[in-house]
Amino acid sequence: MTADVQGWGMWLALSAACIGTYICRAAGVKLSGHIHQDSEVFRWLSAVTYAMVAALTVRMILMPLGLLATVPVLLRVVICALSLAVMVSSPQRRLVPALLTGTLLMLAYGVFRASP
Amino acid sequence: MSRFANRREAFWQGIRDALGAPVLVLFAGMVGFGAMGRSHGFDAWMTGLTSLLMFALPGQVVMLEMFISGSSLLAIGFAVTLTSTRFVTMVVTLFPQLHRRDRNPLLYLWVHMLAMTAWAVSMREFPRMRPQHRLNYFLGLALPCWLISPMGTVLGYFVAGWVPAAVTLGLVFINPLFFLLTFTDVKPWANRIAIGLGCVLGPVFYVLDADSSLLLTGLVAGSLAYWVDRRWLRPRPVVVQT
Repeated sequence: MTADVQGWGMWLALSAACIGTYICRAAGVKLSGHIHQDSEVFRWLSAVTYAMVAALTVRMILMPLGLLATVPVLLRVVICALSLAVMVSSPQRRLVPALLTGTLLMLAYGVFRASP
Repeated sequence: MSRFANRREAFWQGIRDALGAPVLVLFAGMVGFGAMGRSHGFDAWMTGLTSLLMFALPGQVVMLEMFISGSSLLAIGFAVTLTSTRFVTMVVTLFPQLHRRDRNPLLYLWVHMLAMTAWAVSMREFPRMRPQHRLNYFLGLALPCWLISPMGTVLGYFVAGWVPAAVTLGLVFINPLFFLLTFTDVKPWANRIAIGLGCVLGPVFYVLDADSSLLLTGLVAGSLAYWVDRRWLRPRPVVVQT
């Protein structure tokens, strides 16, 4: 397997993916030249973007690829809920404490799972 | 009254704001990606370059997974591009807030450093500063985020073997958690509703068709949220009696 992956196919895939991603960024620059920030189009596109970003975030939490997928989904949701509670517990928003809460809980689960 | 005396000060404030949660989030996510590349048998150069040149974590993961599963080149390019369509609207909602003088062809260069992290922070901070300071603030914010990514990836690649799985688990979780937390800072009601609907509809569309699900969710949930806001939530324009 390892030897196959090193081939030219991988470099082509990387190039295709980089070009595709950059085209999206460049298209944004091109389009942004015609849009005013007080316009209705701008408000609509903001809502569309936030919906996309929300969908992506939920996907990373509920349907992750890789290591996170080995953690029970209920546990992932509970840890998210606890971190959100820490975040909104102050009007100033406790971003770093909330991030630490989630990360340490996840780490604790990993340690607990690894212990026999 | 202005928050910054000049553009240089705005740039340094951007750097300072980056060197906290944003850099940590990118770093952690990329360490996770590096470890993933290692476990799938990619070479270190390749994995690091992906973070430098693509700099879009969800797309990078999709590319890796699809390549492993033996998808065609065309399918990989298509799926990754669909995953990256969010950049179109992210740029379109961020760059019109820049000063007119800064909206020049150089943006085609700067835009490569835009990722979800810098976008989320800029959307929150831009309204609190004058337009002429926004580009420099953004550059200060985005540059460390971009540079840390290949470093995190290569580090993740090399430590993958001996770091306990529990640590990697904590690191890969920081990324989605950060975005979830930043949603609580979003102010306009249309965007709040869009986030709520996106969270609900996202998984539904994902089950229907994974590749196009982000774009579809964005269009359906975003348009619905915009419409609800416009129809019911906005203050009615004052009708002048004559």
